[in-house]
Amino acid sequence: MSRKRIINVLLKEWQFLFTDINSILLVTLLPLLIVGQLIVYVWLGVTFAGEAALNIGIFQNALANLQRATPIVATLSGGEQFQVLLLSQFNLFMLLIPLMISISVATFSIVDEKLSGSLEALLATPVKTWELLLGKALAGAIPALIVTWICAGVFLLIVNIMGWGYLISMVMTPVWFISLFLFVPTITVLSFLLGVIGSSRAKDAKDAQNLIVFVVLPVLALIAIQVTGVIWLTTISALLLAIGIAVVDVIVLRIAVRLFQRESIIVGWR
Amino acid sequence: MKIIEAYNLTKKFGEITAVDDLSLEVEKGEVLGFLGPNGAGKTTTIRMLSGIIAPTSGYAWIADCRTDGEIERLHESIGLLTETPGFYEKLSARRNLEFFAGFYSGIDVKVKVEKYLKIMGLWDRRQSRVGTFSKGMKQRLALARALLHEPKVLFLDEPTAGLDPEAAQEVRELVKKLSNEGRTIFFSTHNLAEAEQLCHRIAVIRNKLLVIDSGQNLRHRFFRREVIIRLDNPGGTIAEAVRKLPCVEDLREETDRLILVLAEPDKNRPELVKAIVDAGGRILEVSEREHPLEEIYLKLMREEK
Repeated sequence: MSRKRIINVLLKEWQFLFTDINSILLVTLLPLLIVGQLIVYVWLGVTFAGEAALNIGIFQNALANLQRATPIVATLSGGEQFQVLLLSQFNLFMLLIPLMISISVATFSIVDEKLSGSLEALLATPVKTWELLLGKALAGAIPALIVTWICAGVFLLIVNIMGWGYLISMVMTPVWFISLFLFVPTITVLSFLLGVIGSSRAKDAKDAQNLIVFVVLPVLALIAIQVTGVIWLTTISALLLAIGIAVVDVIVLRIAVRLFQRESIIVGWR
Repeated sequence: MKIIEAYNLTKKFGEITAVDDLSLEVEKGEVLGFLGPNGAGKTTTIRMLSGIIAPTSGYAWIADCRTDGEIERLHESIGLLTETPGFYEKLSARRNLEFFAGFYSGIDVKVKVEKYLKIMGLWDRRQSRVGTFSKGMKQRLALARALLHEPKVLFLDEPTAGLDPEAAQEVRELVKKLSNEGRTIFFSTHNLAEAEQLCHRIAVIRNKLLVIDSGQNLRHRFFRREVIIRLDNPGGTIAEAVRKLPCVEDLREETDRLILVLAEPDKNRPELVKAIVDAGGRILEVSEREHPLEEIYLKLMREEK
């Protein structure tokens, strides 16, 4: 029964999502902008800074990490090494895609129910809180996940079109695949759960959007510390991190259920 | 057989007591009118009984389910029409009902949605977005939603509030129809005439339960029964003859009528009629004064102040 109810919530949310032109544009254009942005950064970096950028201390550390993880990089020219270093950031950069989508989609999910007055009728049905929250989180997370994977394909396509295809094998390391198939799903679910929590605790969508910052900031920090060479994700550390985030997902779902106080939502918010 | 049982239900929001020590019982098939001014605790009581909010103290059983323990089973047994209909305005009427029906076990969603859209007269508009519906149509759709799973108990929170007279009448007709089908209905309203028209018993609440009884019993409880005799030939010795009867406790004369309070109105009426006829009175009509429910309600509210 739970599966049927979760799917029921999910299908209704999708009907809303895919009949709203603003949501469609958000889910399709925003991710492409993020991919385009990274490609532009790489192009700008290679064209205007190139090999000289490697003289900057922070990049030296990052390059040393990259060479340890993928020794073949050391055989490339300085400019190409810098290019691989920048392209390698995509595995973390793409985590921003589900985060951005969740900011806009998940944060409205409960707030909209409150505004339309449908929440009380919904809570009078036998739906359990966790079914409702998971259904809403998955309704946003699944399209966000698929779009992120499509963006990864678009990224590789553009890299080829730009004539950088020979560098792809050095970018598509095991960590790339772990990021794509473990990080992205777990971070996506996490961001949507936090979005839904925000939405259920907030008085309006703006309030809810503030909460999602708590996920965006760690991801930005992760990108920053990798690009500056403070850490470099290895296969093992990436795997452990992915498992850690999956555990956090389960904990956050439980917290979400606890924080979803039917009474305060119904009575305390008009 | 009792289907709603509430024992000492109390709900506090901080320092404010919204509902204080409310106990009541409702029989299966009964329509209970729940009356009270704004802020009297009607919606809070309905929310407690329907398991949406928990009481601060006390407990209730609805259709053999504890409202604070077996929420899922409780929600399978009740239908709730909330104060605001609350629909997904961009979705069609049919899709809205299908969505809500999708949470109940063991029902054929398509069949039930069709059945209730037809009953509520909305079948022709099934594909229209709810956003294009009038208030009355939304209210009928909300009633359909509350009935989809054939609940044992129906909670209606001010179902005619804010509707124009025609739409309100449509909703009342539907409630009457549901009542005739033998459903148990807990009906909150501000409209006293509506409560009297639709409900078997009436409960008046102002944070605590003030009275609960049938309209007729409430009249008898709050006002002495007054028998009105309309005469063709008032005056003369008729009033004097009546006043001498031992069963007459009070007598007032008003133009062409006598207004009497009798010791035992049903039993004393033949004796009274005989005395009037013997005194030469020609009786046009014998009736009993019906105090409007509003008088009882206002009296109760004044006493509470």
